[in-house]
Amino acid sequence: MAHFYESTLIDTTDGFQCKSYANEHPQGCVIVKPKYVPKEAIAGEGLKYRFLFEKCLVRFNLFAKKEDLNNYVSQFRKKFPDYIYDCPLTNNWFFVVPKNKIKAVHDCRKGLRELLNVPEKDLDPYLRLVRELVDFLAKSGVDSKNLGITHSTLLGNYTPGKSDIDIVIYGKANGWKILDYLKNANHSKLHWKTDGEWAEYYKEHKTSESLHFTEQEYVRHMSRKRYEGMFGGTVFTLFTVEEPNETWFKWGEEKYEPVGTATINGTVSSHYNSHVRPGFYEIENGSLLKNESGIKKFDGKIPIKRVVTYSIPFVQQAIQGEKIKACGLLELVTPKKAKPYYRIVIGYFDAYLNDRREKEFLKVV
Amino acid sequence: MHFYESSIITTIDGLHCQVYGNEHPVNGILVKPKYIPTEKLHSDALPYRFISGRRMNRLNFWADKKYLKKYIEEFKAEYPEYIYKSTVHQGNRLFFSVPINKIERIYFPKKGLSELMGMPANSLDEHLKTVHEFVNFLLGSGLKLNDFGVTYSTLMGHYLSNRSDINIVVYGKNNFWKLMDFLKKSSHPLLRWKNDEDWMQFYSGRNRFAIFTKEQFLKNMDRKKSEGFFNNTLFIIFGVENEGEVWFKWNEEMYKELSLVTVQGTVADNFNSVVRPGCYEIKGSKITDGHEDVPVKKIVFYSRDYCMLAYNGEHIEACGLLELVTPKTGESYYRVVVGYFDAYISDRREKEYARVVNDDQ
Repeated sequence: MAHFYESTLIDTTDGFQCKSYANEHPQGCVIVKPKYVPKEAIAGEGLKYRFLFEKCLVRFNLFAKKEDLNNYVSQFRKKFPDYIYDCPLTNNWFFVVPKNKIKAVHDCRKGLRELLNVPEKDLDPYLRLVRELVDFLAKSGVDSKNLGITHSTLLGNYTPGKSDIDIVIYGKANGWKILDYLKNANHSKLHWKTDGEWAEYYKEHKTSESLHFTEQEYVRHMSRKRYEGMFGGTVFTLFTVEEPNETWFKWGEEKYEPVGTATINGTVSSHYNSHVRPGFYEIENGSLLKNESGIKKFDGKIPIKRVVTYSIPFVQQAIQGEKIKACGLLELVTPKKAKPYYRIVIGYFDAYLNDRREKEFLKVV
Repeated sequence: MHFYESSIITTIDGLHCQVYGNEHPVNGILVKPKYIPTEKLHSDALPYRFISGRRMNRLNFWADKKYLKKYIEEFKAEYPEYIYKSTVHQGNRLFFSVPINKIERIYFPKKGLSELMGMPANSLDEHLKTVHEFVNFLLGSGLKLNDFGVTYSTLMGHYLSNRSDINIVVYGKNNFWKLMDFLKKSSHPLLRWKNDEDWMQFYSGRNRFAIFTKEQFLKNMDRKKSEGFFNNTLFIIFGVENEGEVWFKWNEEMYKELSLVTVQGTVADNFNSVVRPGCYEIKGSKITDGHEDVPVKKIVFYSRDYCMLAYNGEHIEACGLLELVTPKTGESYYRVVVGYFDAYISDRREKEYARVVNDDQ
């Protein structure tokens, strides 16, 4: 119904800092992930704190201990019901910022433009590195006008040597252009994790997602991704966002009926939309492998056509022609103007609070 | 109207302002614009900073005067609402103010520090850990946490570890003096006072060579306990006045500009010299230059450089603007003011000063 760029920071009138979590949104609100919420509003036991902008803020983390997260979200829902959107189209819920609660929107593109106008002599080493990275990415042929910066890089609350550099790429074609460029591009400051480093990372950072992968599988999936790397010793992350005329769905044009948790397989027929949030893989020959929650309503005549992900670890996970296996929420999609189909959705907010958190994954088989 | 000095105000036009004084007119808060967006005006003579997603100019009153003057003129044209035309000052006084309807957010140092000190230690980065430990050390003075605040980049969150200062605010003049007494006697393994080299670096930045000899300057600065290093991070401690203790009230006096003068006198009371604007009550004054000799009662300053410079009984000399002060009740008197904003864009910038003088000078 309404376009609003993903990865954009929003300050709210209640003192929250949120990050937009999609490019297409219901009317009257923006789907977000709360990033920082004042501790004075909700204590946030078990979550981490940061001192920012005069306040002790709770850093909202979807990967916090499930019990703590459930406790927090339940308090949040009670105290700030306006920030929860109970979606009639999906029978699910989203964190949102109602339009009337928006205090400020931090424009990533404008922020980078401003940064590029600061003379080199007035930049600290971190910002100099950001500039150098942007110059390097622009060599892909994507104009720096189609790039932005977000998170602490944009707001200035970064810690040099510790904070990531977060770059936004505007437009899906631009996103692929840069990701393709990075496959072969060289720069003395650029470093991609080696297979050995990914293996080490796998051992040290066991997550609910990585549990579904052997070390070898994990390394194989991660080592070809180009959305996260190191530049001058600092981690950088690339977020591709959709322009208003290229979002892959429009809010309100489809209805989604949750069927249950399921594991499916299929062959990727298009990965073009897999580098945005939410992203998706178009699949063919999709079939239900495992009926996780006793699904009774599954109609084998209706095709399974898509695997959708809100979870960043599963973007750019598979490419056209590859066979994939995925576990997530099976939904029956009823478009207004086309035939129904099934899709699997990974990473809805509710998944982090229930047993889908440990079950959901997407892998090439 | 009272409003605590050193609080930070961001405005709906994107300016970051530092509250400048504890006493304000009723329709605006006097400030120094600290960071100004560069969309409407900009100057390469001023440093740039990238803050809050914007390229900002940092307003530095020690920048090249020709360009500073041009910048201020442009600022007046672009942001006329931020210029306060004082009705109690006769003369071309320059004040910046944030009209109430332009306030976007106020950052309160006291609230910020209280939040910071309530944070679990494992949530703090190196800079914040240093602030935490420093404040804990200062609490050894007997002051309460509620008597302290933290301001500038630490408060706003755009500090750089190992580079940004720690700016501590102390609420109440008695508290400030008490803290200074404590610091005179205290030690801490992480505490180091500024040495001659550190002070000379500061001295060079202020272009004060024509006014002080190096020896004079070092002698004046050496006894200051409001600046030093803690865990190798520069700290500066500011005193601010509580509501019931401001040393003047806006609108209760009128100030008429007379001329730039040099005055000498003996400090009768330096109690108010720890705040901004600060003041030394003097006795036995003598105007040595710029005007016929009239009895000067106060030396007032806006620059923090002159805080706690002179102690009671010491001889002080100042060059500044002589004003005739006419209180609503009580007798008229004269005062000399050092460091009005307009001084920085005139030849007064190099001329104005305050210093302690030896009896033989």
